[in-house]
Amino acid sequence: MKREEIIEKLRGILASAGDGTAPVSVTEESNLMTDVGLSSVSMLYMVIAIEEEFGIRFDDVGVGDFATLGDVVTYIGNKLG
Amino acid sequence: MKKKNKLFSPRYLFYDFVKLTAGLPGLLLFRPKWVYESEKAKKRIRGGALVAANHYGFFDPLYVMFAVWYRRHRFICGKEFFESRARLLFRAFLCIPIDRENFNVSSLRAITDALLEGSLVSMFPEGRIAEEEKTGELGAFKSGMALMALRAKVPIVPVYVKPRKSVWQRARFAIGEPIDVAAEYAEAPSFATIEKIAREVRDKEEFLKTLV
Repeated sequence: MKREEIIEKLRGILASAGDGTAPVSVTEESNLMTDVGLSSVSMLYMVIAIEEEFGIRFDDVGVGDFATLGDVVTYIGNKLG
Repeated sequence: MKKKNKLFSPRYLFYDFVKLTAGLPGLLLFRPKWVYESEKAKKRIRGGALVAANHYGFFDPLYVMFAVWYRRHRFICGKEFFESRARLLFRAFLCIPIDRENFNVSSLRAITDALLEGSLVSMFPEGRIAEEEKTGELGAFKSGMALMALRAKVPIVPVYVKPRKSVWQRARFAIGEPIDVAAEYAEAPSFATIEKIAREVRDKEEFLKTLV
């Protein structure tokens, strides 16, 4: 799966878990806490949603292990092979 | 579907032994008084549930164990306790470790698995011992409990433990009606829902505070 496709799916996840509007301005460089506005709990919620959406299982990662959306995309990309 | 907990198991031996031997002295020392929000709150908690209590002192886990005395509690506690000399004690007491600084996926899985197995998981959503005894105010509640309860589809049982001013004072607990988060928020939860549940539990604790 291409990085753009992963980002698009992540935007969908953030939109459905957020207030419903798709955060189109979210890019790979967006910081999950400061730019996207996620708390540690909402990041964990996003991880759960990613697992269900992509059919992958996260290893023992902490919410502090991902700084930007790009880090999440890379992790998902590696998991998907 | 998770395998349900057995009623008796060797891993409960230490916990049950301590509970049986310390129960009577504890009753005499604390002379606990239970107050319930309603008739519904008096019903015994069966199956998986999350107990959320205020945290004002080191002995709060004991009080929470007295508040819901008929169940084994699995307390969520900081992983630093599991790295201390007392780690065997925390394991024997069936505690579940979490990294408070960097909450991770495996902790969340361990907690939801315990809830799905039918355990009573107890926690202090304030995260740390609050200044309640000094200020009279509850601290802010972290919303992790809402995520855990939603994932496992179990109710949250609010418990308020009144701070004891002296050892001669009776221990007083107020137990609220279980908040059935799975039924209340049946549709896909949002970030806002999780925060809303945390606020709801804190508001309930504030209400329970007025009962004791």
